Amino acid sequence: MKLAKIIAAACVCVPALCQAVAVSDVAPDFTLKSIDGKNTRLKEYRGQVVLINFWASWCGPCRQEMPLLERIDERYKGAGFTVLGVNVEGKAGPAKDVAKKAGVSFPVLVDEGQKVSELYDLESMPSSVVVDRDGVVRYVHRGYKPGDEAKYLEVVKKLINK
Amino acid sequence: MQRIALTFGALLVSLSISGTAFAGDALDALMDAPVDATVPADPAAAPGAAGNPAALGSQMEGIKRDLVELKRDLVVLEEDLLYPASTQVAVFLSMDVGEFFALDSVTLKLNGKDVTHYLYTEKQADALFRGGVQRLFVGNVKQGENQLTAFFTGKGPEGRDYRRATTVTFEKSFEPSYVELKISDSTAKYQPEFVATVSP
Repeated sequence: MKLAKIIAAACVCVPALCQAVAVSDVAPDFTLKSIDGKNTRLKEYRGQVVLINFWASWCGPCRQEMPLLERIDERYKGAGFTVLGVNVEGKAGPAKDVAKKAGVSFPVLVDEGQKVSELYDLESMPSSVVVDRDGVVRYVHRGYKPGDEAKYLEVVKKLINK
Repeated sequence: MQRIALTFGALLVSLSISGTAFAGDALDALMDAPVDATVPADPAAAPGAAGNPAALGSQMEGIKRDLVELKRDLVVLEEDLLYPASTQVAVFLSMDVGEFFALDSVTLKLNGKDVTHYLYTEKQADALFRGGVQRLFVGNVKQGENQLTAFFTGKGPEGRDYRRATTVTFEKSFEPSYVELKISDSTAKYQPEFVATVSP
């Protein structure tokens, strides 16, 4: 009986492993080095609402979005919210330059070897994933065009209010 | 709940900061808008919650207990199937003192092949420093002679970048093999020491 349960659970789990990260999934955990040299782990942000923003220095919309993310982070960080920027280029140099230019104060992590990008199965740049206080994905946004920040705000405000 | 939501919305309005130029004016307006408290953040959480809270609570407890049991069974089954005793090797990491070394990362090579790379946050390094033991890797190796190399990076004495490696060669028998990697302080040398021991 127990074995049947295990097999049933495995059947449910295996297709889930093959898909991109989706709403209601537990956000895959990762540890990355930030541009300041500090190792940062997603799981250590449990209890906070986290917006993970995947970006690259060569991506125009990413650079456009960054100051807006900084303002959202500044505004809500006291309410249990943080933005984690994940640069997918694998080198701290370009990430540092762009972050400095945009006046970013939230942690910017460097995805060496693109393992985290693969884990989250990025289809477009930038991509943002909002994770709730329990570490569950509540919103996935691909790409960026002016006005999209309104959607982030709507989700973030609901989640910190929960 | 609705009241709390509205209060929080009002609080956000009261905390509003003056916006700067760019697309920010619209963003400010959005940030200042109160949350729509009538829409639940988690659609699955709302319906049915108004039923019998006590019964629902005990039902949830039961489901959670079942989940914990199922997870435990899965872990045991996974270990038995994926890592049979005859080929299993597990590597553990511990830290004794750690005054001369702040751990940043560990990379493991088994028979010349990278098997794991681990970055440590301050909290994780602190947990090791306080006596925690981490299971760094579990995998399979052939019976006979095997070689494990661990590369440690971090900050050594005087805050200098530090990179050291330790290698151990061990004979794999039909029993599971355990390798303990230990970082300790050598007070005589004022340097960290990296030791690997194998059992059995």
